[in-house]
Amino acid sequence: MFWRDQKAALAGFHPLHQALVHERGFAATQPAQGWTALIDSLYRHAGLVKRGKWALPARTLDVLVPLIIEICSDLGPKGTLAVTADLRGRDVPGKTGPERKLAVRPPIRSASEAWVVDPWLRLRGELRDGSILEILVVDRERKRKITKRNPRGKTKWKRKSKVVQTIRVRRRLPVDAVSRVPATPPPPWIGAFVREGERRSILAAAKLTRMPASGQEQVDRILSVATEPFRWTSENRGIA
Amino acid sequence: MTPCTVTTGFFTLGKCGVMAVAGCPSCGRALCANHITEGGLCPECAAARNQVGHPAAAAAYRRRTHRHRTSQEYSDAGWYTGFDSYDRAPFDPGAGANQDYLDDGSDALVDS
Repeated sequence: MFWRDQKAALAGFHPLHQALVHERGFAATQPAQGWTALIDSLYRHAGLVKRGKWALPARTLDVLVPLIIEICSDLGPKGTLAVTADLRGRDVPGKTGPERKLAVRPPIRSASEAWVVDPWLRLRGELRDGSILEILVVDRERKRKITKRNPRGKTKWKRKSKVVQTIRVRRRLPVDAVSRVPATPPPPWIGAFVREGERRSILAAAKLTRMPASGQEQVDRILSVATEPFRWTSENRGIA
Repeated sequence: MTPCTVTTGFFTLGKCGVMAVAGCPSCGRALCANHITEGGLCPECAAARNQVGHPAAAAAYRRRTHRHRTSQEYSDAGWYTGFDSYDRAPFDPGAGANQDYLDDGSDALVDS
């Protein structure tokens, strides 16, 4: 009876689009054509669905979609992109770790600390040059609660929280790939190291103490970190 | 068969390679049917003119913006030269960029 048109529109969307609306996340592996179909479906959402309860989660159109588009343009003809997105946010059950008591002295009566770990995005793409690109973005929030009592017996409490974001990127090179150390080091906020093995891996990581203020800044940060492994190969031209 | 020479990809650059059906009126490169943008331009020339309505032109614009930004961030001029001279040509001053932003010369009334 209610929201009949919008329910019908939702039912016609891509299955992963529906999962984003109802479960606020999805995990899927598919080739570039499959992701293009999902993105086309997501772009139709705003015109057909107005109800707030069925709105797309934050970071969908401004972070997730641009990243999928850019990585899909690098996939080979048989390459697939795996995406695990959890856009439920930090304040959901299961993401908060155990609470830990901190050592205190008067007038502090008690202090406790808990960590919230939110790995909200994981990408794995098989690129057309034979390498494998993996991206992991994790938000970590430290929550502290302090209780204190003043000389007149009044009890007060205070909560504080601090959020940092970790971006990790790994590119596993093809077996016979030639790599070299880049001419310039990465910016100070990006760390890079090489893991030798049958297939050489180049890892880049960054910890952001200030959260990106916009979706565009978030995408830029992730792509900036993902750039570092590609500077280690002199020729970044694959087979179209 | 003349292959399409439009640059594709974001991190791993390559050429399209599909059979070309036309040429860009600005830079002359061969274009397949999927890479002809507004006015028959190639995606790079369209992006240089800020015509990013076509998906390929938008992709070219984003790729170039990213390479330019990260080459400054990394202080690595070699990263930007991952493009070949053919890719960079439409963005050379006077080659195809928006003329409003170019230097008017010493005898111009207003220096824009």
